[in-house]
Amino acid sequence: MFAYAARRILATIPLLLVATLGLFALEASVRDPVAELRVSCPKCDDTAFARLTELYDLDKPVLDLSNPANSRYIAWLGNTLTGDFGTSTSQGELPVSDFVWARAKNTMILAVPAFLVIASIAALLGMYSAVRQYSKSDYAITSLSFLGIAMPTFFFGLLLQVFWGIWFHDWTGWRPFFTSQMHDDSLSNLIKSIVLPITTLTLVVVATESRFIRASMLEVIHSDYIRTARAKGLSERKVILKHALRNAMIPVVTIWALDFAALLGGSVVTETIFSWPGLGPLLLSSIFAADVNMVMAIVLFVAVLAIGFNLLADLLYGVLDPRIRIH
Amino acid sequence: MSEPVISIDDLSVSFPTDDGWVHAVRNVSFDVEPGEVLAVVGESGSGKSVTALATMGLHPSSASITGQIRFHGRDLLSVSEREMRGVRGNGIAMVFQDPMTALNPVFKVGAQIAEMLQIHSDISKAAAWSKAADLLESVGVPEPGKRVNQYPHEFSGGMRQRAMIAMAIANGPDLLIADEPTTALDVTIQAQVLEVMKAAQEATGAAIMLITHDLGVVAGIADRVVVMYGGRVFEEGTAREVFYSSENPYTRGLMSSIPRLDSPKGERLVPIPGTPPSVLSPPPGCAFSPRCVYADDECTESHAELRSVGSGSSHRSRCHKLGQLTEALAGGAS
Amino acid sequence: MQEFRMPRQEPATVSVGEPGTGGHLAAEGMSIKPKSFGRQTWDRFRRHRLAMIAFVILVLLIGSFWVVPFFSPFNSTDTNIPDMNQGITSKHPFGTDPLGRDLMIRTMEGAQVSIRIAAIVAVVSTAIGTLLGALAGYFGKWVDAIINQLINLILVVPAIVVLLVMGIKWGGSPNQTALLVAFISWIVIGRIVRGLFFQLKETEFVQAARAAGAGSGRIIFRHILPNAMGPILVQITLVSGSAIILESTLSFLGLGVVPPDTSLGKLISDSKGFIDTTPSRVLIPGAILTILVLCLNFLGDGLRDALDPATRKGRE
Repeated sequence: MFAYAARRILATIPLLLVATLGLFALEASVRDPVAELRVSCPKCDDTAFARLTELYDLDKPVLDLSNPANSRYIAWLGNTLTGDFGTSTSQGELPVSDFVWARAKNTMILAVPAFLVIASIAALLGMYSAVRQYSKSDYAITSLSFLGIAMPTFFFGLLLQVFWGIWFHDWTGWRPFFTSQMHDDSLSNLIKSIVLPITTLTLVVVATESRFIRASMLEVIHSDYIRTARAKGLSERKVILKHALRNAMIPVVTIWALDFAALLGGSVVTETIFSWPGLGPLLLSSIFAADVNMVMAIVLFVAVLAIGFNLLADLLYGVLDPRIRIH
Repeated sequence: MSEPVISIDDLSVSFPTDDGWVHAVRNVSFDVEPGEVLAVVGESGSGKSVTALATMGLHPSSASITGQIRFHGRDLLSVSEREMRGVRGNGIAMVFQDPMTALNPVFKVGAQIAEMLQIHSDISKAAAWSKAADLLESVGVPEPGKRVNQYPHEFSGGMRQRAMIAMAIANGPDLLIADEPTTALDVTIQAQVLEVMKAAQEATGAAIMLITHDLGVVAGIADRVVVMYGGRVFEEGTAREVFYSSENPYTRGLMSSIPRLDSPKGERLVPIPGTPPSVLSPPPGCAFSPRCVYADDECTESHAELRSVGSGSSHRSRCHKLGQLTEALAGGAS
Repeated sequence: MQEFRMPRQEPATVSVGEPGTGGHLAAEGMSIKPKSFGRQTWDRFRRHRLAMIAFVILVLLIGSFWVVPFFSPFNSTDTNIPDMNQGITSKHPFGTDPLGRDLMIRTMEGAQVSIRIAAIVAVVSTAIGTLLGALAGYFGKWVDAIINQLINLILVVPAIVVLLVMGIKWGGSPNQTALLVAFISWIVIGRIVRGLFFQLKETEFVQAARAAGAGSGRIIFRHILPNAMGPILVQITLVSGSAIILESTLSFLGLGVVPPDTSLGKLISDSKGFIDTTPSRVLIPGAILTILVLCLNFLGDGLRDALDPATRKGRE
């Protein structure tokens, strides 16, 4: 199993190298800070331009194959491999890793409870609508999940903000939740500020997950071994909870792992709408500011999360499904 | 004469589908006597599998079902779901067609057999597992002590079907329903599995309702035969009666379409022309009439009744031409 | 990075069995009088009431985007400062923006842009996805390995980063935005087609064609592709829906289409500061967008049911 994991991780390395190189080159070419400065500050002298060139390493090409030591990408790669992610050009030349780590913690405050809520609601809804296929509640759950999939996250987030922040307050004079920013001065305020972002994340993810779980459960319910279980004289409850559930959950574990990784990587739209100081808004502003080191660090963080959880899902798959043995 | 184990009386089963009601089983009646092997034979769509599932109470919940299925005199169609669960796997057990998919892939074979025992009695887990190993041994699975700890995917098809049989006979059922138990297996394995079933039946005294489309399977094992077509019983009798003195054009057609070792050299197999009737819009008269060389207006207009062939005999056939048939067929065959 | 989710394939297996026979009845071994595949699909689709309603709403809604501007006395570029920032009025049913422009006509034009982007994404990603998926699935081996790595390469970086960075560099017009979205969206179709080709190339009719001496091109286009059209059609509807969402999200984040063009997402984004005073300016384009995507998804779901007998009603 360890050898398998090691092989899997090794296989992703060339992929990561090519992807980071492409992104690095693209992000580095988004803006030309010197040209911008020339426009915005006609009176600046050459020391300012030299300073800027040094800060962004603009005198070096992204990748120079004839002289790798002179390449910005190779320099970044070397530093990154030694654990140095560089300094930010848009956040006062401070180390990128400090920012990413602080924002990742804030994102986690949303991601962990959101995942727990999402996984349990999706499992309940998906299983219930599979077991009661074509019932009124199945139709209701199905319609709601379609709505959740069809509604853009930012629109739902705006709706929640205007409802709880304005309309509900106008009717009752009471604002039960914060509609913006993280208030971590007390636990109750923290809870009041995570409710709406989590609700936003939940709607979208629950909608897709519950559809997936329903389909997985349906496939299992219609399988021959479930008929065998019924023919044994088991109660329907046991047929579902013992025989069907275990099989239906095997593919779901992968989805959960990937969704959890995605949540931990931060959500650009949700966090931006609710002004949550997580990874998403930092990524967004860094991309616009052409802050290459920051963008690369966040993307690496997200990619490593995705790869790690993907691997975890595969290992879990092998544990849950005896037909699959990982060597 | 002892009371039948199961007595199916005027059973009809219909399903709603997107294209209308499908009348899968129409007024079917037959009994299974204790300890006998009754083969229910028919092509696809004859209603034989639906009859078997209805007997287990495993027909789709959307089905409309009328008539009676009496198990030791008790009508299974009117008992509660709870009571029915007590019958399933206990009084009546079932072996399914495809052993590759009929066992749950995530549980060990021993656990699945032990579960069958634990559902219907207060046996301890350890005792159930040790009995599971004994059962596997009794159906000819080598190294049962090791095999109980394996998963279904570690079993071959034939071994899985043996495990299914072991599971089915675990609680000493009075009736074993086997739905095409050999169809999914290799020919060489088929005979072994049939032998195992026969042996298991002799050991437990269970009656067997063998659902099959394969007359070759029937020949070696069945005491009596029920031939179904288009949801109806077309012929019923002892294996001997049905095989050697069939009084039904459909049965005879089935038999002349299977290869025999003792047939004269050069004799051709005669397939039944046409296809089985549509379950949605069956022909108005006798369901077989469109494919029957002896059909006349009477056959295409009205149903035949199931009538006794000889007086006092259990041999019955559904054919308008009953009695005239022997000469007609004899004339036609020469 | 979860907002940019592609349509996720549900684990229902794609059936390549005999399309002429009905679902569970075929499994039970009962034969049903065969109808033509197309006819049967249409029948089942019509019986899938929600999909049918979705289809009708979709046609009416999209039609209205082009018809309504004809009857409007306003032009999308006419500014009228005294009428600025109005809510719903009889003169301006959708209100006005800060320049006093009529929002009904702007919403219609924005919706036209959203539809156009969805259509371009559908065409481009279907073309790329089908081609690469077919090559990967049919030839397997190193062709499959290369295409797979290409997909993994795009997927290793979160889609939103790819779209944002490329959007800054190459975005702007509706067509450019559509191409960017298609750059991500083809993967969904590519994977489906690859899987279908893997399955279908082993079927007997393909083996028979190969035995008859048909070349690879002929087998791919004449024998396999027609049988893969059903699932591809389903994916096209879903990809169109997700394209509308992707574009609107990009516009919301400040990329996507730029003025003077507008789109549903851009309209919402432009109005989000006015949500407390004139919420209709966010709600109307938001509702239109949601209904569009909802209808496309119901349509795809209905098509899936109609095309795949294994998942349809009555299987139980």
